Amino acid sequence: MTNKSLDTKKAPGPIRWNALIPFSIFCLFVYVYSHFFLDHTLRKFLEWGSYKALGVEVNIGSFETSFWGAKLSIRNIQITDGEKPSQNSVEIGDIRFGMSWDALLRAKILVNEAAIENIQFATTRKSPGKVAPPEPPRQGPSAVEEQAERLKQAALAKAEQEYADNMLGDLAAILGGTDSKAQLGKIESSLESKKKAQEIEAEIQQKQKYWDEKIRTLPNQKDLQALNDQFNRIKYKDFKSPQELQTSLQELDAVLKKGDAYSKQIGNAGPELENDLKKISTDIKSLDALIKADVKALESRFRIPSINPKDISRALFNKYLGKYNSKINHYRGIAEKYVPPKYLKKGKDKEDPNEVLIQPREREKGISYEFGRKNSYPLLWIKKATISSQAGMSPKSGNIRGEILDITTQQSLIGRPTVATLKGDFPADQIENLLLKIVINNLQPESLISYNMEIGSYPIGASELVQSPDVQISLTKATGKLSIEGTLKALRDFKMNINNQFAAVGFSVEAKDKTIKDILGGAFAGLPIINISGVASGFLPAISFDISSNIGTELERGLRRQVDAKIAEARKQIETYINGEVGKTREAIEKQVSQLKNQLATEIKKIEGQLDTQKKQAETKANQAKKDAENQGRKQLEKEGQKAVDDLKKKFGF
Amino acid sequence: MTLLLKQIFAFFRLLNSETGTNQLAAGLACGLILGFSPVLSLQAFLVLFLAFFLRIQLGAAFLSAFFFKFVAFMIDPLADKLGRSVLESDTLQPLFVSMYNMPLVPLTRFNNSIVMGSAVISLLLTIPGFFVFKNLIVKYRITVVERFRTTKFWKGFAATKFYNWYCKYSELYG
Repeated sequence: MTNKSLDTKKAPGPIRWNALIPFSIFCLFVYVYSHFFLDHTLRKFLEWGSYKALGVEVNIGSFETSFWGAKLSIRNIQITDGEKPSQNSVEIGDIRFGMSWDALLRAKILVNEAAIENIQFATTRKSPGKVAPPEPPRQGPSAVEEQAERLKQAALAKAEQEYADNMLGDLAAILGGTDSKAQLGKIESSLESKKKAQEIEAEIQQKQKYWDEKIRTLPNQKDLQALNDQFNRIKYKDFKSPQELQTSLQELDAVLKKGDAYSKQIGNAGPELENDLKKISTDIKSLDALIKADVKALESRFRIPSINPKDISRALFNKYLGKYNSKINHYRGIAEKYVPPKYLKKGKDKEDPNEVLIQPREREKGISYEFGRKNSYPLLWIKKATISSQAGMSPKSGNIRGEILDITTQQSLIGRPTVATLKGDFPADQIENLLLKIVINNLQPESLISYNMEIGSYPIGASELVQSPDVQISLTKATGKLSIEGTLKALRDFKMNINNQFAAVGFSVEAKDKTIKDILGGAFAGLPIINISGVASGFLPAISFDISSNIGTELERGLRRQVDAKIAEARKQIETYINGEVGKTREAIEKQVSQLKNQLATEIKKIEGQLDTQKKQAETKANQAKKDAENQGRKQLEKEGQKAVDDLKKKFGF
Repeated sequence: MTLLLKQIFAFFRLLNSETGTNQLAAGLACGLILGFSPVLSLQAFLVLFLAFFLRIQLGAAFLSAFFFKFVAFMIDPLADKLGRSVLESDTLQPLFVSMYNMPLVPLTRFNNSIVMGSAVISLLLTIPGFFVFKNLIVKYRITVVERFRTTKFWKGFAATKFYNWYCKYSELYG
C-alpha cells in the first residue's frame, strides 16, 4: 500500500511553488515592519548615535520615510547645549529629503529637494537634556604620558600668554619709571667696565711706584751739581808743566764720560715711559668699549622694549582670540575622534616609524568606469538644498536663507561647480548682513574650494585683553565687521585672510601708576577704527597663523613720544650710573697718567738740558786747555830755541 | 542559520542519494555565479531568486558560492585586467554608455573592472561547469557511494533499527 502510494506520488516540477507562501509571508513581514516600525527604529537609532557622537541628548520629533516616494522627512530636531542643558544649542524645525526613483533604478542618487528649515539657536527645552559625563582617564602609562603632554602644552600656552602680557607690563614699567636705581645697585659687581677700570687703576699705581723708584736711580740735581763742581775745579789754562796739562785733560775726560753715562740713563728712560703711557691709553680706550657693552646689557636686563606694532597687536588680542581657539580645538577633537584615520594621516609628511599597522591584505578594488554622457545622472547629485530660519521664533534665531546648488560626485557631467550661499541677519543679536559663500570647483584638474564669509555688523561685548600686574586693559564695547576669504587647493594648499574691523570701540584701562593710566587711557581713547588682520596659510594640517592690527600702529603713534622719552631716560640713567661708577676711576687714572707724564718728562728734559750745557762747557774747556797747552809749548819752544841760538852765538863769539 | 544548515545537510543527503543530479549540478553552477559576483548586486539577487523559486539545490549553491568566493579573491588581479580590457574596448563603448544610463543595469555594477572580469569568467564557466559538476556527481555516486554501501560496516549499520527508524522519519517528514 505504501509502495503503491509512493509510486503514484507526482514528480515535483521545476518551480518550487511551496516556497511562495513563506516568501509572501516574509515580504508581508518586511512591509509591515517598514510601514509601522522602521521610522521609529531609525529615529531611536539616530538619537542614540547622535548622543554617542556629540555627548549631548538629541531629540527627534518625527522621522518619516516613504519608499515609493523615496522621501525622508525629519521634524523638530533638538540638540542640547552641553554647557546649559536647559536649552538647545540648535533646534531644527524640518529636514526634508526627496530622491528620484528614476535615478535610483540607474544606481544613482538624485536629490531633487533637500531642505533644512526653521533653524533656531539657544531655544529653551521642555526638560533639561542629558549630557554625557566626561570619559574616565584610561589606565596605563600612555594615560600618564598623555596627561604629562597635556600639562606641558598648557604650561607652554600659559607661558606664551604671560610673555604677551609681560610685553605690556614691561612697557608700563618703563613708562612708570620703575625704581631702577635700587636694582642697579645690586648688579654693580657684575659690571665688566668697572672691573676693567679697577684693573687699570691698579696697574697705573704699580707703574707710578716703579717710576718713582726709577727716577730715584736717575741722575738728579745734586749729581749734576757735583759734576759741575768737579768740572769747575779742573784747571784749563796757565799750565806750568806738561804733567799738569795731562792731569787736567784726564780729569776732563772723566767728567765727560760721567756726563755721557748720565745722558744715556736719561735717554733710555724716555722711550720706556712713552711705552707705558701708550699701553695705559690703549687700556682706557678698551674701557670705553666695555662701558658701551655694559649699557646694552643693562638695557636688555631691564627689558627696555622696542615698540613693535605686531607685538602690541599680539599682546592685546591673544586673550581675545583664546576663547575661539578653544572652541576650534573642541571641534577638532570631535573630528579627530570620528574622521577615519586614513584622512587624518593624509597631511602627515612622514609616518611614525614605530607605528605597527596590522591589517589583512586588501582586496583589489578595480576601477569603476563612469560611462556618463551629457545630461545623464552622476552617481550623486543634489540639485538644490535649502536652509532657512526666521527671526522672532526664538530670541536667538535670525532671518537666514541659504542654498547649496549642485552637490555632485561628477561636476563634469553637469558642467557646474557646487555653490553654497547663506545670507541673513540676527536682529536680536544685532548681527547684520551675514554672508557665507563656498564654491567647490572640481571642473579643473586640481580641485579648488574658495570660501568667503562676511558679517556686516555685529556687537562685541566686554572682553579682557591684557591682565598683567602693572596694567589691565579690557574692551568694554565695540561694533565689529568681519570678512574671511580664502582658498583650499587640491585639498592641501590652504590660504585664509581674515579682516576684523572694530568701530565705536570703548576701552577700559587700569594701571598701578597714574601716569601710565593717563598715557595709555589717552592713547586708547584716541584710537579710530581698529583693524585686525590675520593670514593663515600652509599645507594641511601644518598651518601657520599670523595676526596684525593697526591698533599696534595707532598705539605706537600715541605712545611713541612718551615711551621714547621714558626709554631715553632709562638709558641715560644706566649710562649715568656706569659713567658715575667707572668715571670716577677713569678721571683718577687720567689725572695720574698726565701727572706722571708731565713730571717725568719735565724732569728728564731738564736734566738732559743741564747735561748738554755741561757737556758743551766741558768740551770748550778741554779745547781751551789744549789750545793753551799748545801756545805754552810753542812759546817755551821759541824761548828754548832763542836760548839755544843765543848760546850758539855766545859760543861762536857773536 | 538553521535554514542554511538544513540546506547544507540536504545537499549531502541528496548527494549520497540516487536522485537530484540536475538540481545539485545547477546549484553548484549557481554558486559559481554567486561566488564571482559582488554580494550586493543585481545579478546576485537574480541568481538567489532563481535558486529559491526554481528547484535548484540551495545548499549546493551556498557551499559552491562559499568556495568560489575564495577562488574569485585569488584571481582578482586577473579579473581586474580582463575587466579593464573589456570595459576599455572601443567597440563596446556605446553599449556600455547605454547600459550605464539604463534603468536597473547599473545595479549589476558592471562598470567595475573586477566585477566585469569576474562576470566574464563566471559566464564562461557556468555552462561547462554545470556538465562537469553533473559528471562528477555521477562518478562520485558510482565510485564512492556504491563502494561504501558494499562495505560490511554500512551493511551492518543499515540493518540496525536506528537506521530503519531514521529512514521512516526521513520519508515522512523530509
